[in-house]
Amino acid sequence: MKAAVLREQNTPLEIEEVQVSKPGPREVLVRPVAAGVCHSDLHFLDGSYPYMLPTILGHESAGIVEEVGSDVTYVSKGDHVITCLSAFCGHCDKCLTGHLALCQSPEVSREADQEPRLHQNSQPIHQFLNLSSFAELMLIHEHALVKVRKDMPMDRAALIGCSTTTGVGAVFHTAKVEPGSKVAVIGCGGVGLAAINGAAIAGAGQIIAVDMVDSKLEIAKALGATHTVNASSGNVVGEIIEMTQGGCDYTFEAIGLKATAEQSFQMLGAGGTATVIGMIPVGTMVELHGVDFLAEKKIQGSNMGSNRFRIDMPRFIEFYLAGKLHLDEMISKHIKLEEVNDALEALKSGKEARHIIMFDS
Amino acid sequence: MSRLEIRSEVTGNVWKVEVAVGDHVDAEDALLILESMKMEIPVETPCAGVVSELLVKEEDAIEEGQVVVIIEADT
Ligand SMILES: NC(=O)c1ccc[n+]([C@@H]2O[C@H](COP(=O)([O-])OP(=O)(O)OC[C@H]3O[C@@H](n4cnc5c(N)ncnc54)[C@H](O)[C@@H]3O)[C@@H](O)[C@H]2O)c1
Ligand SMILES: [Zn+2]
Ligand SMILES: [Zn+2]
Repeated sequence: MKAAVLREQNTPLEIEEVQVSKPGPREVLVRPVAAGVCHSDLHFLDGSYPYMLPTILGHESAGIVEEVGSDVTYVSKGDHVITCLSAFCGHCDKCLTGHLALCQSPEVSREADQEPRLHQNSQPIHQFLNLSSFAELMLIHEHALVKVRKDMPMDRAALIGCSTTTGVGAVFHTAKVEPGSKVAVIGCGGVGLAAINGAAIAGAGQIIAVDMVDSKLEIAKALGATHTVNASSGNVVGEIIEMTQGGCDYTFEAIGLKATAEQSFQMLGAGGTATVIGMIPVGTMVELHGVDFLAEKKIQGSNMGSNRFRIDMPRFIEFYLAGKLHLDEMISKHIKLEEVNDALEALKSGKEARHIIMFDS
Repeated sequence: MSRLEIRSEVTGNVWKVEVAVGDHVDAEDALLILESMKMEIPVETPCAGVVSELLVKEEDAIEEGQVVVIIEADT
């Protein structure tokens, strides 16, 4: 099969011929139809997050089941699925206390001494986050996918695989935004826009979108933002404290920078909660003013929207089909696998929304 | 020869040990592969040398900043 292989950090992905292993008992072979290009892919390409190389990036996809392992009963050939990197084992402490996105059980990947899922002429290719969706086939654990209705368009479904689940989930599950509350979202890419849309569904009273690109702020308005702030204009924190008359109840950082993570805490009102979604480079420390804790301000992380994706993703599809979740606006371009480097390059400028790879059928 | 302590940048579990005591390694070689929040993260050596001590084994839980391997650096 064809795949976009990352061999060295900060070099373009190469389209190469790669082989995929046979499904093990609990594995599923999926033929992706659509795959989104997420900023997290870029963090691993540019080395702000180290990863074993060579690897095949991509982790936001929807596709069709091609073949299932001997013990798989949940899906069969021909089913439509969305993949999710939050593969869960189903029996560890995290899973059984309802925190499936935090499961770290190694059993959802192959063991170190087994044949790797992906290889090239017997040389291992490291699977990215148990998925690797910039490839014509994906061999994944059965707990890394959810079955979905067949009338859901695949390119929109792919978005649900990461950005929607991450942004909407951060609002619903991690922060549990209360109706009527004041919300700010810093960064209006695929993830931040999903958080804005989620806040609108949750019934937030004021939703302030922050970005440096005006066209992104326009999309934010279409998705439910009540106010916008262009961050290049200077004092973002001061402006938002004024707009909210004393600070936000909930803020979301959806960029992955120290400065904006600190801002997300600074713009809270008393008792407010900041949720950091962006992936801040490994080794970076975040600084907070200690006295702010007296006002019961809180800061927390969110991994993949604290999802229970087999429940959440079908619900998000219903939201889309009911016109509540605006996925059409999130897609700026459909591309071919060969154009993946252009999509990664476009993410750097922040000017465009999601690019979706469509695979030839 | 200088003794170099290799530390892990992140918290995680050792998925695979890629070297054995006595092995010669080149700069940027992966010594261990850690699994942390679904990521396969390499612990690399910054310089060439010989592995003199392996302080962890597969499935061990590692803290950020923990010394995991000792390298006797070349020159
Ligand atoms: N925690 C998780 O589970 C998880 C999951 C998915 C993505 N992420 C992370 O979320 C972040 C956002 O991902 P994305 O795909 O939406 O990215 P994106 O590149 O599509 O969007 C980022 C947006 O931030 C804006 N921006 C950049 N710098 C800014 C600044 N200083 N002030 C205001 N706006 C600024 C850009 O213009 C752009 O619109 C990334 O760090 C990504 O890795 C985390
Ligand atoms: Zn993503
Ligand atoms: Zn588990």
